[in-house]
Amino acid sequence: MSSEGQTIHRETFVVNLGPQHPATHGVLRIKLTMDGEYIDDAEPVIGYGHRMHEKMGENRTYAKFLPNTARMDYVAAMFNTHGYVCAVERLAGITVPERAEYIRVVTAELNRLASHLLWAGAFLIDLGGFTPLLYTFDDREHILDLLESVTGARLTFCYYRFGGVCNDVDDQFVTGTREFITRLRSRMPMYHALITKNIIFRKRCEGIGIISAETCRRYGATGPVVRGSGIAYDVRKAEPYSAYPRLNFNIPVYPEADCMARYLVRMDEMMESMRIIEQALDLMQPGPVMAEKIPKMLKPPKGDCYFNVESARGSFGVRAISDGTDKAYRLKLRSPCFSNMSLFQECSRGMLLADALALLGSLDLVIPDMDR
Amino acid sequence: MTIPDLKTRLGEIAQGGATPPVTPTEGEPATPVAPILETDHAKRGTDLDVTVQPDRIPDAARIMDQGGYTLEAITGVDWIADKQYEVVYDFTSFASGKRVAVRTRVPRDIPALPSIHAIFPGANWHERETHDFFGIKFSGHPQLTPLLLPEDATFHPLRKDFGT
Amino acid sequence: MDEQTQVPPGLIHFAAMDQILDLARANSLWPMTFGLACCAIEMMATGAARFDMARFGCEVFRPSPRQSDVMIVCGTINKKMAPAVVTLYDQMPEPKWVIAMGNCAISGGPFVFPGQYNVVEGVDKLFPVDVYIPGCPPRPEALIEGFLELEKKLTGKRRWPIAKAQ
Repeated sequence: MSSEGQTIHRETFVVNLGPQHPATHGVLRIKLTMDGEYIDDAEPVIGYGHRMHEKMGENRTYAKFLPNTARMDYVAAMFNTHGYVCAVERLAGITVPERAEYIRVVTAELNRLASHLLWAGAFLIDLGGFTPLLYTFDDREHILDLLESVTGARLTFCYYRFGGVCNDVDDQFVTGTREFITRLRSRMPMYHALITKNIIFRKRCEGIGIISAETCRRYGATGPVVRGSGIAYDVRKAEPYSAYPRLNFNIPVYPEADCMARYLVRMDEMMESMRIIEQALDLMQPGPVMAEKIPKMLKPPKGDCYFNVESARGSFGVRAISDGTDKAYRLKLRSPCFSNMSLFQECSRGMLLADALALLGSLDLVIPDMDR
Repeated sequence: MTIPDLKTRLGEIAQGGATPPVTPTEGEPATPVAPILETDHAKRGTDLDVTVQPDRIPDAARIMDQGGYTLEAITGVDWIADKQYEVVYDFTSFASGKRVAVRTRVPRDIPALPSIHAIFPGANWHERETHDFFGIKFSGHPQLTPLLLPEDATFHPLRKDFGT
Repeated sequence: MDEQTQVPPGLIHFAAMDQILDLARANSLWPMTFGLACCAIEMMATGAARFDMARFGCEVFRPSPRQSDVMIVCGTINKKMAPAVVTLYDQMPEPKWVIAMGNCAISGGPFVFPGQYNVVEGVDKLFPVDVYIPGCPPRPEALIEGFLELEKKLTGKRRWPIAKAQ
């Protein structure tokens, strides 16, 4: 430093965060250029979970690719399968029976609940609180039991088929789901008392990690990130699909654009998901769960189409291009985490490292979904 | 900006006599489609499908930016029979939920087109990913290094002739 | 590779002492917090309330490899990640054990196809593995069983007899 203090000598140093670090939720690496405790530049390095899904989409038949979709965003596997089957159904012109649409909505929303519960636990661990994880996983296990009874899997569900779902749900599932909703509703005040009202949590989240609405738009961020920045964008409302147009629900929006807003959006979304599930169970009528005359070897006509669904993390899109054979010519999988993560470099500039990790946690990343 | 407005604005830069979205098999005549098409959202997932020359991509992106749209994805496609790569830009509007696809084709032997990262910073990663998979060069991109593949990767796995 | 990972045998052995040490190690295995993909979620579920790995003394997940003695390789290792995983293994102090959880860690799992370009086909191509747990992903019960197998490997006897099918 000069004697007059005219020029301030700044010295930065580089810190490598990841790819193995508990706060990166898997295998994300961030190259940090630090100015003391403050971030000068944070460059995410991704690809440590790249698993060639798009390549496999081209060399497997449409049906054989179904299990892959569950392994992209494994925390909310239903949505990826939903987006994929809907894209192929749109290509092939398949209509799905009414009951199957309701079953899809019920299972998908249950999966959203499970995903948000897991996120709440993991986010609190990022901020230094371990206890909520034990509560959220307790509730999550109930959902997994319900889904396991119909899908056969706890995590990587492969339940939807082109034209419907592979198994019908039974009365036990329906009553079990209703009981679970009652239970989770009664536990939400407990979560708010345990987490939302916690002063340490509030201090770590309020006013931290601001992402402006314009930044969201320029980076293509979607899901709870964009809704926490005051934009009421939800694919379920913007481009209604499946049985959502027949259901009544709200889009929670918070304009504060900080980590707290994104947390509150997810907590409110859980209440909305419970409403959706109850309505769908009420409206569900007996009937077939698979469309008739779906060929074993599906060969959609030539053409391309886009389909996107509202995943637990944002807009999950599939661009499927068919050349008339039993394999897709090109299958683009648009992952919400990819776009949500790309704004991190800009938004984390000038933040404290510990606050940037709160921002990172609030984006709700699943790395193999981002890397595909 | 509404879809008819966009159609007018994008129509000024759209190219004529574009190739169809999917290459016909041998013997079938290639039926040229209009460079700008209003599509049925329920059937195609898009409301507007525009084909432009590679050098007009930044112009198209600027129009979409002014229209308040967001860039959702960039898809590369290898039309090896046509000796071309196709790049599809998917835009969507938070306000209206409308969806616009902007397409362009570049020759396979000189795959290059301008980058739009200055207009949509989110395009930065999408373009790097497309470069990873297809080797398409986005001129003006600040850091066209492998994103998903290992740092030293020199191969482009989604090319149809990869591994042969 | 082999020369590096082998522990030189001690000159003097105290049989009873070794047994006690093994018993202590087997009942306080400290795994590393290290998730690669889907299986990591099941590992978290195993550590949480319902399955409660603490019953077997192996709930102390350490974020640093230098404090842990079991590496649960839970997920797909790709070519970009492989050097980092090997570094983590090398950083763990001896004695150390490796559990390959899930099909990806065993053989590359569903991501192996002719001409695949990015997945390491099994973690045993990188370093030795003690226990393999198949499944995609394995259930938490399977991970607990894997730990019981590892304990058996250490002490020579099982904590509980295997339940017979009725």
